[in-house]
Amino acid sequence: MIKTDVIIIGGGATGCGIARDLALRGIPHYLIEKGDFAAGATGACHGLLHSGSRYAVTDPEAAKECIEENFILRNIAEKCVEKTGGLFVRLPGDSKRFMDRFLKSCEDVGISTEVLSPSRALDLVPALNPMIEEAVKVPDCSIDPFRLCMLNAISSRHRGGGFLLHHEVIEIIQEKGRCIGVKAKDKFTSQIKELRGKIIINATGAWGNLVAGLGGASVPMSLSKGSLVITNHRLTNMVINRLRPPSDGDIIVPNEAVCLCGTTSITVMNPDDIKVEPLEIDTLTTEAEQMIPRFSTTRMIRAYCGVRPLLKSASEDTRAISRGFRIIDHKNGLFSILGGKLTTYRLMAEKMVDVIMDQFGKKAACLTAELPLDGQEELSGYPLSKRLKNLDDIVCECELVTKSDVKNVINRTGTKYIEDIQHRTRLGMGPCQGGFCTYRALGIMQEMGRVSPEDSMRILKTFLEKRFRGIRPALWGDQLKEEQLVEYIYMGILNMGSETGK
Amino acid sequence: MYDVVIIGGGLSGFMAALSLAEKKKKIALISKGDPICCLSTGCIDVLGYGEDPLHEIAKLPKDHPYRLIGQQGVQDSLEYFVRIMNEAGLEYTGDIHANTKILTPLGTAKTTCLVPKSMQDANPETGEYIHVVSFKGLKDFYPSYITSAYKNTGYSVFDAGVSTTLGLATRFEDKSFIEDLAATLKGWEIPDGRIAFPAVLSTSAPEKVISYLSEKLERKIFEIPTIPPSIPGMRLLKALRTALHKKGGNVYWGREIASVEKSGSLVEAVTLESGGRATRVEGKSFILATGSFLGGGLYAQRNSIYETVFNLPVVFPKNRAEWFHENFFDPGHPIEKAGVRVKASFTPYDADIENLFVTGTILASSDIVKQGCGHGLAIATGVAAGRSCEEWLK
Repeated sequence: MIKTDVIIIGGGATGCGIARDLALRGIPHYLIEKGDFAAGATGACHGLLHSGSRYAVTDPEAAKECIEENFILRNIAEKCVEKTGGLFVRLPGDSKRFMDRFLKSCEDVGISTEVLSPSRALDLVPALNPMIEEAVKVPDCSIDPFRLCMLNAISSRHRGGGFLLHHEVIEIIQEKGRCIGVKAKDKFTSQIKELRGKIIINATGAWGNLVAGLGGASVPMSLSKGSLVITNHRLTNMVINRLRPPSDGDIIVPNEAVCLCGTTSITVMNPDDIKVEPLEIDTLTTEAEQMIPRFSTTRMIRAYCGVRPLLKSASEDTRAISRGFRIIDHKNGLFSILGGKLTTYRLMAEKMVDVIMDQFGKKAACLTAELPLDGQEELSGYPLSKRLKNLDDIVCECELVTKSDVKNVINRTGTKYIEDIQHRTRLGMGPCQGGFCTYRALGIMQEMGRVSPEDSMRILKTFLEKRFRGIRPALWGDQLKEEQLVEYIYMGILNMGSETGK
Repeated sequence: MYDVVIIGGGLSGFMAALSLAEKKKKIALISKGDPICCLSTGCIDVLGYGEDPLHEIAKLPKDHPYRLIGQQGVQDSLEYFVRIMNEAGLEYTGDIHANTKILTPLGTAKTTCLVPKSMQDANPETGEYIHVVSFKGLKDFYPSYITSAYKNTGYSVFDAGVSTTLGLATRFEDKSFIEDLAATLKGWEIPDGRIAFPAVLSTSAPEKVISYLSEKLERKIFEIPTIPPSIPGMRLLKALRTALHKKGGNVYWGREIASVEKSGSLVEAVTLESGGRATRVEGKSFILATGSFLGGGLYAQRNSIYETVFNLPVVFPKNRAEWFHENFFDPGHPIEKAGVRVKASFTPYDADIENLFVTGTILASSDIVKQGCGHGLAIATGVAAGRSCEEWLK
């Protein structure tokens, strides 16, 4: 049994942020996550570090939080942030009045803007639609959500914090009406671990109500699915937004070598039962090509979706629901932290930990806005210069990942999950989406005795199914061609699916 | 002016070219590069189910290209293929009337019909012990997949100093390397049974390597085809090119079609482009063997699919959501049946072209993944389109 002071459930940005904040204030804690870091909405968003301008008109309070946090994260998470800047482009037919309101609202909350002529905007982003009427420059950035979570977790671990990945909380242990611990199941071995703590934090995003239910509580929230699509090229070096009230497919974010475009917004009931529909990708592509005409002829790598946990309100339109956050004290040792967005994760963590400190009757100032995240040098992204240093034994040709990179992750984390290797090395993140390298990575795991060959077959099959769900909605052009090759290899040459050996 | 211009240098295009060259037709074959059959196992799948694949042909849907040819026609073309390949130095074995199985690198048993001689003992379901010998660092081959799937198996790893399939295959051109390998393996005291290698036993003459090794080691030896780059696939292409060279035909390799010229219902010429150099190729008749999406014969835009050389009508599910099933392993993704519909003469429907014959995986109504008919279909339709073209020329 593991004993600690605070148990955090959920390894998204909020949970990891709370872990780091607790660590910096000297409170023992343990984080439990049912998947890998950033497995929920954190990892399924745009990776946009909002300037707040997107919300300036509709939700000034959220906008103000965003711009403040934007500048804090540029400092403390330097290696996760690309300081791209952003443009809001006004296309023919988009309201000029909305633009005036937009500029006024940004000014009110302290977001700096600069109105650019079409030529100035095209100078900055040549791929833009040359028909644009105007553009407004704002301090948007792009951010790597997975790396952000990892670095928060590393900061926590350096100060004694613990975490358990791939463990699902199946029970919140209660005694005399108080929540005193949790039981967590190892998703691979099904073994149960027990943890005891004085306070339990439910930071599970879209799963918030399900987890609160284990502690005899409930939280009012509505779930909104958002789908996004990834292009194989970096079509723009700046974040591109449509200058109009928030709608589908109005943001394109450059990230490393690719661009992410989203989103849609569809109310859903079950966060575990979501998928991207081809029609959503049509909507996104049609919208995106109005801002960047080349978008629709660019190769798509895959689509994905996440569920935004939004605070419940009377309104039916999920976009009108506040993106602000709320902390709920269930009065039995369990707290839920809900809503919010990636950009404001640090602020949410700070407020949550303030409440925890009050509960413990302790005082310590929050340091998370001043100190940089630990471990940024070792996890400083995947620059080409770094990857070109060692070209022996390349396992993933798309992303130049070597056999030793794969072995290092397996040794360091002891993982049995192909996704963990992908997140930490970028294996399988390129155009073929792991069509070749996954088979190899599993072979390497076998060689190292980390996973039995029998398990490998099951893992490979599950992986290929999951991979396909991601690329199916955006399958045309060169990506479809590649998909036919993958089909020929696995179902033809390797004869998977129809029968297996004895 | 050529009698026949064949567009596409895959298995189907070559079979059409060979059958026409044999009839003394003056032919040209144009290919934009190495074809998809290069990536294949080299095995000839006819239909991946039933004991006698030929017997199953009559049960296929009426619009399946095999049905345009009939059982006897398919059988004749397969026999023709085997003869031509043997002449070109690539021996095929197997019974056209009986499906067989070969071992795959994943430890599954793949159903196929005719196999290169180097795989004649590759059926894993005989119960006999199989010892897999792999090579150090070979990144596309992990024998433990096989040893976990079949009980009566084992493996060892040999350090050949190189670790890619092509690197290894060229090592096997060196007699002293093979002797050294045989001596080492002899010392390993491998249990009785068969010995299997990944398919790298020389670039073009695996039979020689196998007969030497099996004599020295006193074991049956066979090859396991690998995922691409595939040496047996390359051997197949090499043999096809050798065969066509012998029969006489002009080959334009690495050239793409830039434009086509038509007059009324006749195609008159195509223009090839490469490196700014344009070549006009005139023909009395044309054969289109450009493959499916992977080969480049078909291209999918977001909401439509077109044929890339002549813009022939293509049949496909109109709604993109229906192109693929929800799950990867659900058999028969509808898009696999997309393609050009042809008449019994292998001329396209609804196109008003009388001297163009279409063959291979670009044809509609066949699903080579689900039906397991890849190379069989390429061979049979290639020969059939060649024959039909020959008729037309008369």
